[in-house]
Amino acid sequence: MKITIENKDAMSVIRLADTSVILAQRLAEMCSNGPTLEEDIALSNISLDLFGRAEELYRIVARMEGNKFTPDEYVFHRNEREYYNIKLVEQPNHDFAWVISRQLLHDIYAKELFTQLSNSPIHEIAGLSQKVLKEIRYSFMHSHDWTNRLGLGTPESNQRMQAALDHLMKYVDEMFNFDELDRKFIPDPEKLKSTWFSEVDRILGESNLKRNAVAPLSMRDFRQGFHSEHMGHLLSIMQFLPRAYPDAKW
Amino acid sequence: MESGDKVWEVFIQKKAGLPFKHAGSVHGYDKKMALQNARDLYTRRGEGRELWVVEASNIVAVPLDEADAFFDPADDKIYRHPTFYDIPDSVGHM
Repeated sequence: MKITIENKDAMSVIRLADTSVILAQRLAEMCSNGPTLEEDIALSNISLDLFGRAEELYRIVARMEGNKFTPDEYVFHRNEREYYNIKLVEQPNHDFAWVISRQLLHDIYAKELFTQLSNSPIHEIAGLSQKVLKEIRYSFMHSHDWTNRLGLGTPESNQRMQAALDHLMKYVDEMFNFDELDRKFIPDPEKLKSTWFSEVDRILGESNLKRNAVAPLSMRDFRQGFHSEHMGHLLSIMQFLPRAYPDAKW
Repeated sequence: MESGDKVWEVFIQKKAGLPFKHAGSVHGYDKKMALQNARDLYTRRGEGRELWVVEASNIVAVPLDEADAFFDPADDKIYRHPTFYDIPDSVGHM
């Protein structure tokens, strides 16, 4: 099965959908691996919100594409190079600080992006954005709170957070290398970028953490389907069952 | 249980005006974390619109070994129940 995307708006929406589903999968890996039972459930809840958001977004993609493919087909039958998520969200759960840092950097991005998209001329996107903003605000409350705790906690928790941020910041540049599609789809791309940096700096500042300068990666852009080495492993786990057993039913 | 970790009792109010009901307990290092954990554990399916968390050690309970002295004397005093009155029909269900 070769999955194609023809419509330009559908291409913009699938970037959001892919970013949601890949982050959802990463958080789902934390289920049974959280530091406490309570946190385990909190992360699983956030993961489920993201899976739900992704499903709605894939439905919109499917409709824009004339229902040639189903949401499940978009998720389970595309290869690595056909995925268009930001590389930030495919980074692994190295430790809890990575989970929280990745979430914080994503939530700040998602909050501004969906705030802008709630005024999108595409009605379905505007409607969905207003709904998911509530989820994003909660997720942000959670990642913000943990960033404060870990940043201001013990020397070890602070050092682990800083190490996580220093790694994840390498994948931030591409988020703001807007292309023609982004400029058409996102109401105010420059504001997305400036808001992201000022919010990140504010929260890291209050948490005794820093946004260190990082050497740019010589990796090509997620918009062309390029990924870090972690993506293939993630997909192999996520897609194994429906590919090995195509007639499997829930 | 690590040091600093506390147990909190969780109470949920279904909607404004109704009493808060005990839902269970959660672990949390402080008020904020206890509230977030309680939200994630107990209000995932629309159980309520308001939440209280109370540090379990702040709840004063009857010591288990004194339960007999506290509660048994009520057992044989059936006259404390208002079942010896004839209730006029017009009162209806009481």
